[in-house]
Amino acid sequence: MKRTGLHPLWAVVLVLLPVLIGLAALCIGRISYPLPDIWNVLAARLTGAEADKQLTIVICNIRLPRVLLAMLVGAGLSVAGCAFQSLFANPLATPDTLGVASGTSFGAALALLMGMGLLGVQGIAFAFGILAVVLTWLTSAGNGKGLGSVVLGGIMIGSLFSSLVSLVKFTADTETQLPAITYWLMGSLSGAGYEPLKWGSPWIIGGILVLFLLRWQLNILPLGEDEARSLGTNLTALRAVTVICATAVTASSVAMCGQVGWVGLLIPHICRMAFGNDHRVLIPASISLGAAFLVIVDTIARSVSAAEIPISVLTAIIGAPFFIVLMRRSGGWRI
Amino acid sequence: MTLEIREGCFSYGGQPVLDHVSLTAGPGDLIAVLGPNGAGKTTMLRCMLGFLHWQSGDSFLDGRSVRSIPPRELWRSIAYVPQARSFTSAATAEQTVLLGRNAHIGLFSQPKKKDIDLVHELLDRLHISHLAQKSCAGISGGELQMVLIARALAAEPKILVLDEPESNLDFRNQLIVLETMTDLTRQGMTVIFNTHYPDHALRRANKALLLHKGGQAQFGDTHSIVTEEHIRNAFQVRTVIGEIETDERIYRSILPLDLAAETAEIAPDTHRIATVSMILQDGEQAMQVNEILHEYSQYLVGRMGLPYRKAGVHIINVTLDAPQSEILALTEKLGRLSGCSVKATYAVGFQPT
Repeated sequence: MKRTGLHPLWAVVLVLLPVLIGLAALCIGRISYPLPDIWNVLAARLTGAEADKQLTIVICNIRLPRVLLAMLVGAGLSVAGCAFQSLFANPLATPDTLGVASGTSFGAALALLMGMGLLGVQGIAFAFGILAVVLTWLTSAGNGKGLGSVVLGGIMIGSLFSSLVSLVKFTADTETQLPAITYWLMGSLSGAGYEPLKWGSPWIIGGILVLFLLRWQLNILPLGEDEARSLGTNLTALRAVTVICATAVTASSVAMCGQVGWVGLLIPHICRMAFGNDHRVLIPASISLGAAFLVIVDTIARSVSAAEIPISVLTAIIGAPFFIVLMRRSGGWRI
Repeated sequence: MTLEIREGCFSYGGQPVLDHVSLTAGPGDLIAVLGPNGAGKTTMLRCMLGFLHWQSGDSFLDGRSVRSIPPRELWRSIAYVPQARSFTSAATAEQTVLLGRNAHIGLFSQPKKKDIDLVHELLDRLHISHLAQKSCAGISGGELQMVLIARALAAEPKILVLDEPESNLDFRNQLIVLETMTDLTRQGMTVIFNTHYPDHALRRANKALLLHKGGQAQFGDTHSIVTEEHIRNAFQVRTVIGEIETDERIYRSILPLDLAAETAEIAPDTHRIATVSMILQDGEQAMQVNEILHEYSQYLVGRMGLPYRKAGVHIINVTLDAPQSEILALTEKLGRLSGCSVKATYAVGFQPT
């Protein structure tokens, strides 16, 4: 009768799911290792004991940062998607609605054109992502124009930066720069390492944490403006914080691993169909399923063939059919 | 708590919508905001609550300007029920009502068990507990209106403001909504509602604000505001206010006759002699009735009261020589007491001196 929160059993499942899938992903790869080996290496790393050199390098320096990155980006994009769907009261909103991913892509393409290193690309890309959202906000917000015009502004700024990306590609050297830019745009987690994570993860973790804490308030955001205000909410501040958090998460994610399409739309809707529209459940569920989903997709991307498959391609190939089946069985969703 | 508007003015593009509107709402008041389509009823509520800025004048809660009160504090005292047709959420009724607790929940906190218990208590009180787990997208208009009222009450407000709560509802659901509002005022709450129906104002409200196209507004006791002349001026409709009699009571009702173009001349308020008789279901009410009669002592020419102990009822008869509007006001006031049957009988052929 009183279904007011998450069933404790579900809470346990949602916490354990990404951890177990993460451990499994550490085992799987070009060379597979049994779980006890992984355990020994991780334990040795923590206690400072000696372990097999090659195994330590593969697990700790190659696979672990990549799994961590996949978890953060998956969780981050899902939560950002949830937040934007709530903010715009629109089930089609994605983390890119305000043009952040296009801006970030342009920044990255520009940095690659100038021949910058991994961290340089990440920094410039992040900065342009933030810039795109600031531009969107400046062009369309204020004076009671409502959120509809903000969405339109986002589409405009997004397409502006998309054209700029094309312009960069056009001027790029076709032998070396163009393939690098194209490959980056399709998204890949192969650049994962502790150094990029050190710079990128605080934005993602911070954004997720604030949105997680605000999860009850996110239930109020989709209501009409007067209605939301009449519930005692400082609506302007709540909207601003939501945009800032979702933007920080998305810009940082895209800056580290390129455009990972679909996750921000797919995971929130799967969670809506499974757990309903209450953000008190939806946000934790999205974090958990988003993290688990991207670890699975990335593990497939790096292990099914000798060459890595771009991650955007896989999220759609795996995600779309699953989503369609779920939608047909559950009879759709509403916000 | 007292909510007050002093000389509020608002205009859209130079066209006045509200022109020097004033209103006072205290505990127990049920106030109807009346006016034709486009007269600015919703604009009035939005200005009153601070969603829109008055261009001059202001609204005050216990003397403090509404816009100067921090939102969380303001919305614990006042609750707002928006028009149901603009509500499109697919959340369950329980979740929707729980949102009403927001002004009592910290920014980073979650609703506690006591909040959820209060929600279930409210759903019970408004007889809609069976809707708790249903989606608001899948319930009827009348049910949704009750859910939205429950959400407003969840903030435990002193003042409830409703925007056309009974529009688009059938007979029965209109009565449920109106009865709920009347009950709340009996418990000391202030209720202010926008309505298209002068009849509902006449039947339920003790005060009325009548808005005209072009911004003028009249505020006062319902019987002095909802009159044939005023309605004709505001709505350009000729009406007759008549009486419908049941076994217990006489109900005043307004019947639209035809479209009127010109403004009416105001008929003088003639003195009449009337005997107002009432039967009360318990002795407690005799006190309340005495208090009300005391306000009319200048008009009283005779009075009789006796308890009929065997049946547990009180019978009171008073005779007045008073302006017709005062006699109507008295019977309405008495009629609003629960369990009080009241009727006025007028003397025929009496010439006012």
